[in-house]
Amino acid sequence: MGTTASQLDKDLLSEYQELTFLTKQEILLAHKRFSELLSKDERNFENTRVSMERILTLPELKSNPFRERICHVFSTSDQKNGSLTFEDFLDLLSAFSDSATLEIKSHYAFRIFDFDDDGTLDCGDLEKLVNCLTGETDDTRLTTDEMRQLINNILEESDIDKDGTVNLSEFQHVISRSPDFVSSFKIVL
Amino acid sequence: MSSGVSRQRVEQCFRLAALQDPRANLEEAEKWARAVRERAARQQQLRDGVLLSELSRPCRMMLLVNPQSGKGQALILYNNHIQRMFNEAGIIHTLVITERQNHARELVKEADLSQWDALVIMSGDGLLYEVINGLLERPDWEEAIRTPLGILPGGSGNALAASVHHYSGASPVSSEELLVSCGFLLCKGLVSRMDLVSIHLSSSPRLFSFLSLAWGFVADVDIESEKYRHVGAARFTVGTLVRLASLRVYKGRLAYLPATKDHNNQQGLRNNMTVHCNNQASSLTPPPVLCRPSRDSSCHNTFHNSCHSNNSLKVRRSESTPSRSATKAPSGPPDSLLVPLDQPLPANWVVVPEEDFVLMLAMYQSHLAEDLLAAPDAVSDDGVIHLFYVRAGISRTALLRLFLAMEKGAHLATNCQHLVHTKVRALRLEPYSPKGIITVDGEVVEYGPLQAEVHRGLSRLITG
Repeated sequence: MGTTASQLDKDLLSEYQELTFLTKQEILLAHKRFSELLSKDERNFENTRVSMERILTLPELKSNPFRERICHVFSTSDQKNGSLTFEDFLDLLSAFSDSATLEIKSHYAFRIFDFDDDGTLDCGDLEKLVNCLTGETDDTRLTTDEMRQLINNILEESDIDKDGTVNLSEFQHVISRSPDFVSSFKIVL
Repeated sequence: MSSGVSRQRVEQCFRLAALQDPRANLEEAEKWARAVRERAARQQQLRDGVLLSELSRPCRMMLLVNPQSGKGQALILYNNHIQRMFNEAGIIHTLVITERQNHARELVKEADLSQWDALVIMSGDGLLYEVINGLLERPDWEEAIRTPLGILPGGSGNALAASVHHYSGASPVSSEELLVSCGFLLCKGLVSRMDLVSIHLSSSPRLFSFLSLAWGFVADVDIESEKYRHVGAARFTVGTLVRLASLRVYKGRLAYLPATKDHNNQQGLRNNMTVHCNNQASSLTPPPVLCRPSRDSSCHNTFHNSCHSNNSLKVRRSESTPSRSATKAPSGPPDSLLVPLDQPLPANWVVVPEEDFVLMLAMYQSHLAEDLLAAPDAVSDDGVIHLFYVRAGISRTALLRLFLAMEKGAHLATNCQHLVHTKVRALRLEPYSPKGIITVDGEVVEYGPLQAEVHRGLSRLITG
């Protein structure tokens, strides 16, 4: 590196620190890693958008079962293609940081699991969630019966108003009781 | 989970009008009532050719209820279902409401047990854990632990209730139907024996367990699930999924003493213990078969001398050296199979070659939770610890499949290469990771190396 355009402005750094859960050090590291994803030309522009494809080459995201949904949720792109600007990237890291509150984490987890973006987790969302966990190929997935059994169990545990879906508060209620949730919902560069 | 066939209360009204005098009729009717009750009990006295003992009638039961347990519904459930059932069955019961943790334990330690024919817990498994350990802490523990114990599901951990229901041969049910079934079995008043497992931790006093011992994946989920106070059954699922997302490996050393065919043999075990010991000593049968907590301590030592390998001398010597537990008044049966934690294992123990695990689970009853039939072929007094462990390397899908299959007890049939099941009499676990969770009967205990030994039929359980 070395060109000034790829270094972070001091005022901007302070601003980012105030707006996110990240420390200055974490922001600088994020900036470095993000810049590495850019080509030399791209580095000169501000607010460059990086494709989801390239974002997912980051080792911290590469093996995350929900990597694509994560990009979609934090992307501010008009085309809804999961591409991220540096600020989108910071938002992502902030939500997944050590210091983010349980409420923030569970809020974003809900959005990530809401595959059809309709504000609630229905059977379709839950099925996709499980499939993300179990793997890509047919032989690693659950059978239809197993899936049905699993989703029934999930709903029995989480669906308090018995409307067949899990809304945000039901989700937060059940997920936040799990102390391990916080540590599994973490991405640190 | 679909409900199986469930018990219903059906009222049959009979009228007796054989004689002129109403009082004579009443006497006759009461004779009939007594006869019906006795016949009902006698039906099941012989199960698998083994004589079960009966609760004395009329039966005086102490019913311990934790009003907070489960959904906080325990008292309401009692009022709706149990009270009438007990009254009709002629069970004299006294309700004792527990007020805090260890209240039951203290109560049982001080109670005058001659006043009670049975101690019944209406709560989760945690309350029974307190009662059992309280009984074994008494100076008169040998008598005390023979007090018949009963369980009614009222809490979030109803594994033993589900097990008792399972042993009666009925198809699985849950929630209130399980409560009715267990209430009914209690009224029948037939008493079996129940294995207890003594567990030694690095610095805590020895404790007794009646259900399970878990480390790794299951233990972690156990703890999280306990926090889902509003849930009935199916409490493992969401916790399991969270854990699956960050599936990790737990490093440690596991070793066990395999159970041999010998003591699966029922014969002789219901008889006089001294007779049993003498038989074994004279036949010199290796490997060591269970020598129950013997009242005759000389028999105990003779048995060791004749049956063990060279290591037995070491065992005996270390048992005679003052240990931590000897400084307070010793209570509870001695652990004949265990050497101190810091000493090498006896030669007849098996050490598991792998050191990377996903979970370790030791079960002595059939159910791990109301809806998890973890050890389908377990019986309450088989004198065996059913040891399960899952080696690292298992895929998320396979692990998920195991838990789904466990609802019906079909996990052993999944042919999962990473799952190992073996029957043991004792085990030792030394976790390597500095932090982690170990649960006994679903409750967290001190994390660190531990040893466990099964004591066959040490306690009494009303199984109907």
